[in-house]
Amino acid sequence: MSVLQKSLHPDEKVKAGKIGSTLTKAGLAVAVVFLGLSIVLAATSSPGAGHASKWSRFFHSYVIGWSYIFSISVGMLWIVMLHHLVRGRWVTAVRRICEAMAGAFPIIFIAGLGFIIPLLAGYQDLYYWAHPDAHNHELNHHLAHKFGWLDPTFFAIRYVIYGVIFSGLAWYFSKKSREQDESGDPKISETLRIASGPAMIIYALATCFLSFDILMSIAPKWFSTIYGVNFWGSACVGAFSALALIVLGIQRSGRLVHSVTAEHYHDIGKWMFAFTFFWAYTAFSQFMLQWYGNMPEETFWYKYRMFGEWKWVSILMLVGFWAFPFVILMSRWTKRIVPSLVFFAVWQLVFHWLDLYWNVMPSYQWQMTYHDGVAINAGPLTGNPALHHVGFTAVDVTVWLGLVGVLLIGIGRNLKGNLIPVKDPTLPLSLAHEVQ
Amino acid sequence: MSNAHDHHEDDQTQGPATYGDGELYGVLAEYDTPGELIDAARKVRDAGYTDFDCYSPFPVHGIDEAMGIKRTILPLIVFGGGCAGLLGGIFLQWWMNAYNWPWNIAGKPAWSIPANVPIAFEATILFAVFASFFGMWILNKLPQVWHPFFRSDRFARVTDDAFVLGIEARDRHFDREATVKLLKDAGAIDVENVYYETDPARKQMPKWITAFIVASTAFALIPFAIAAKARNSHSNKPHIHIFADMDFQPKYKSDQAMDLFADGRANRGQIDGTVARGHLNADDVLFRGLNGGEWALEFPKAVEVNEALAKRGQERFNIYCAPCHGYDGRGNGSIPQRVAAGGGAWAAQDLVKPAGSAVQMPNGQLFNTISNGFNTMPGYAAQITPADRWAIVLYVRALQRSQNASQTDVPADKQDSIR
Amino acid sequence: MESPHDEAGKAREAFRGVTRDVAWVAEAPKPHKAWLAALGIALLMLGWGVISIYHLVTTGIGVWGNSNTVGWAWDITNFVWWIGIGHAGTLISAVLYLTRQTWRVSINRAAEAMTIFAVMCALLFPLLHTGRPWFAWWMLPHPNDMGMWPQFRSPLMWDVFAVSTYATTSILFWFMGLVPDLATFRDRAALRGDKIRAVIYGLLSLGWRGSARNWHRYERAYLILAGLATPLVFSVHSVVSFDFATSQLPGWHTTIFPPYFVAGAIFSGFAMVLTLMLPLRHLFNLKHIIKEEHIEAMCKILLATGMMVGLAYATEFFIAWYSGSLYEKFAFINRAFGPFWWSYFAMIACNVLIPQAFWSRRIRRAPVIIFILCIFVNIGMWFERFVIIATSLARSFLPANWSYYTPTRWDVGLFVGTLGLFFTLFLLFFRYVPVIAMSEVKGAMPEAHAGGSKGSKGGHH
Repeated sequence: MSVLQKSLHPDEKVKAGKIGSTLTKAGLAVAVVFLGLSIVLAATSSPGAGHASKWSRFFHSYVIGWSYIFSISVGMLWIVMLHHLVRGRWVTAVRRICEAMAGAFPIIFIAGLGFIIPLLAGYQDLYYWAHPDAHNHELNHHLAHKFGWLDPTFFAIRYVIYGVIFSGLAWYFSKKSREQDESGDPKISETLRIASGPAMIIYALATCFLSFDILMSIAPKWFSTIYGVNFWGSACVGAFSALALIVLGIQRSGRLVHSVTAEHYHDIGKWMFAFTFFWAYTAFSQFMLQWYGNMPEETFWYKYRMFGEWKWVSILMLVGFWAFPFVILMSRWTKRIVPSLVFFAVWQLVFHWLDLYWNVMPSYQWQMTYHDGVAINAGPLTGNPALHHVGFTAVDVTVWLGLVGVLLIGIGRNLKGNLIPVKDPTLPLSLAHEVQ
Repeated sequence: MSNAHDHHEDDQTQGPATYGDGELYGVLAEYDTPGELIDAARKVRDAGYTDFDCYSPFPVHGIDEAMGIKRTILPLIVFGGGCAGLLGGIFLQWWMNAYNWPWNIAGKPAWSIPANVPIAFEATILFAVFASFFGMWILNKLPQVWHPFFRSDRFARVTDDAFVLGIEARDRHFDREATVKLLKDAGAIDVENVYYETDPARKQMPKWITAFIVASTAFALIPFAIAAKARNSHSNKPHIHIFADMDFQPKYKSDQAMDLFADGRANRGQIDGTVARGHLNADDVLFRGLNGGEWALEFPKAVEVNEALAKRGQERFNIYCAPCHGYDGRGNGSIPQRVAAGGGAWAAQDLVKPAGSAVQMPNGQLFNTISNGFNTMPGYAAQITPADRWAIVLYVRALQRSQNASQTDVPADKQDSIR
Repeated sequence: MESPHDEAGKAREAFRGVTRDVAWVAEAPKPHKAWLAALGIALLMLGWGVISIYHLVTTGIGVWGNSNTVGWAWDITNFVWWIGIGHAGTLISAVLYLTRQTWRVSINRAAEAMTIFAVMCALLFPLLHTGRPWFAWWMLPHPNDMGMWPQFRSPLMWDVFAVSTYATTSILFWFMGLVPDLATFRDRAALRGDKIRAVIYGLLSLGWRGSARNWHRYERAYLILAGLATPLVFSVHSVVSFDFATSQLPGWHTTIFPPYFVAGAIFSGFAMVLTLMLPLRHLFNLKHIIKEEHIEAMCKILLATGMMVGLAYATEFFIAWYSGSLYEKFAFINRAFGPFWWSYFAMIACNVLIPQAFWSRRIRRAPVIIFILCIFVNIGMWFERFVIIATSLARSFLPANWSYYTPTRWDVGLFVGTLGLFFTLFLLFFRYVPVIAMSEVKGAMPEAHAGGSKGSKGGHH
């Protein structure tokens, strides 16, 4: 327990000023350019990989990119709530920025309508369970009972519920925190602490079920109970990496230069390290258990990721998302020196995207099959793995970048007023924070 | 170990030495608070002293810097230990399970990398822990159960509530007056001289400790000695059975002798005049291919002859019969081919040649051959159910027909597809 | 107006107070009556266990209720239960250290001891359930004339390595923390003239003298060990969960087992820590060191981990339906409505419902209620493992093999025996070993930073 306290430096610039709108404008530009480019690329492409529609690749990339920006905010919402729950101290100096990042949920969920509305309108080349051939009982009798749950309307309703939950939670914690800027009332911290308990429970359920819905159901015959936890682990790696970059960017603009120190970056780096390990732990558990049990209803998902073209992507994930950052981030110094931290933050942000890509894209190729002499679409992850070919296209990246632009819009909109909770009772402790 | 009487003088004069004090080892200065200890340490370091140390009941934060203690290399040793554990764990499992004596366990690859991760992980941690634990003690040069400063009673309070700074006399800058002055100016509430022990009786380890160590080491080696002797000796005596009823269980196994019965067997076999439920197998045609003692000409009534049966027969034929008889039934399956490739000759029966026995024989006899074998062909009754054997019979007939067909045999509506 | 010297005097008196309060437990000439009574009961329980072990080893596993297909029952339930309990100790030592929760210093010594004793109790079960435990040394790879090596692909082998690494690390970590306090005992004994104790504590404390140079490396090693123990704790219970999850049995084969088991272990471990600490702090006047806030913090951790376990239940249930596997669905319905329904409801009541009481601050500050609730939590966690193991095995794939399981008195006797072993060891520890980490408590006190021109930075976190 550090007994040291420090007050806010008298010259410290805490007001966001123009930085929010700058970020929003930049985000808007990025989003328009890259999403526009993506639409052009998709429109000028041709259908393939078992899809009747040429937009299927675009929508698959959209789901990946959307999950990516969702995951950044979801990780930040978690640290905000955790901080209140355990009466944390060091986060306070950067918590307002975390709140701003979590506050992007409304924009994120609006952007998500980009794939939800087509789904509701009957688009059948994104989620196989929305395709008529999925209802072929002989071919897909393991899907039959799920159609009550995996139904476009119910799916969209759940999507809205998730949107309300996450936006509501983020808004609540942010609003109360800003109230405290005015009044300095310590009771607000207590209120938030009490609220964070039930909030965590709702958060956990919503995150798990959202990942089951949006990501796991891309391969609707597959299932894994740890999937939600694994997604959340990967999300937090990305979220903390993004936090490091955004805080650095804010400091570059001359704000909060005294308040956020190498000590805070060290701790952000520690969270990056811890979650890198946690992701590897959950990912390995999922893989090893399904590999060991060797049950075809589970292993088929991994079959396409262990053999054929995705084999190298899997190995790259192991080395790049876990082994390399893990070994290097173990050392104290790599977390405290800015260029090193920036390098790993960017690195992990890219690999976190690759993780989501690896989760979704192998299911892009749908195989046609013959059943009683009639051609039927058997859906994702069927057929010979040696013939499984998804490849890599520009759309995969442009959609991602476009949606990152959307995230920046969402964050920028929340960067206003004080960039630090000026009257939070734990702020003096956070400012004096030192890692031992 | 235990303390000697103490020297409580504030000045530097030596008190009367009951046990005989030797040379001056060093001085101890006591401070009131951790903060003062840190300040004093800084001053001592700035004055150029190197052979000094601070003693406290808990680690005082900030003192490392004040004393100029360099960061320890322990983390590197631990990293090395961890790497050794990782490589060792992987190598151990690879060598033992994939190289030296590979087993097929559930069809997993000989080197089952995912299955080796948990143990490799634990080995990494274990070795890192050993490196950390033993490395730390070794770097600290502990155990070192005796230290000259233990002669001071004040020093005994270091593990309770005292904050003490000790400077050794062998330090280059040590001077009886100047050093004490420095310590007092830094705020010492007391400074004390500590001398080497000279009483030879007190300088040696008590005999009973030595005896204890020797005795316990000897005792600890006894099991190893017994094991070594046992491994290197021979005995005519039977094994010792601690749990005789576990090693010689009062039960009979299938093929053992038992003199209670006239035939001397423990296995009583099937009881005469009885049939197990579901094993009557009354239908001669179905189970034996016989109709009134002769080979059945037709298919049994229990089996419906249709296209599904033929397809089933095809599937079963391809599994059980094709390896020898070939997919076309002509007798050149992969096993005869393999034998031929090795320079031998071993032909399987051609099932489809018009003059062959397989074409001539009745269905029941064909069934019987599948069930019980013929010459070098084993019987498949244990592997293929009767219904499936009839399916194979049907398929063999289909093969015989198809392999000997001519174009005119093809139905009119399919003539086009064979052009 | 107090002089700095007086203040310093008060600070030093506070340090001496900590030493005295902890040391008197070990130095009191006559043990407390309650301690003797408890030891007596524990020894009786241990005795029953010894008899059970003797009967088991000489007759065979048939004396237990295990059968075909319920090949694992109380034996493995108890194994997992004990290991789980042990995890709280490492969590308190290592994870709370890494997250700078200084309140851990009042309980970490006892918690670490609890870990070691729990692991000892746990290890008895896999050893004995083999039937011929004298062959157990074959699990360690060694050259032999058959050229035979262990089968490392088996999760049961992973258990051997994981649990022995865990036991070793726990012992080393605990011992390392003990050394400065053993040195305190040594010096007190020496000053008192108690030669025997001075020698014993002296040898055990390795000659520790509180040197700052030694403290530097010691602190570094402590941090490193804490950093190593954290993934170790996760890995050990994950490996234990792999015993089940790598199989193909419905209800066992599910990917969430590793983190779910770890959360459950922490849950039951903290409950056991509280079960032990609450009476002991009362009987031995340690309430000013093991404070109400610390107890409250532990209750909150209980609630949090209980909720994680609940989340795992909910996820398993949902995915059992979602998967469409007839056997998986049946396994979960069978748990709630099959022959072992009573154990399932005991589990839900104790693990999900009862911990909800900890939302209330009043309950978190009521030691007697907490004590009772924690016993229920431990019972609930025992039932959780029983539900997973016995229920799934009693209704496996072939209906012809469906059976029921009833424990025999030897099952019960062995379990009671391990409880006896645990409590005996813990009571002996309490009497003869410094039960609170004196050096760490002193380092965490505000007086530890006092004085001097700048004061000292930070704290012994």
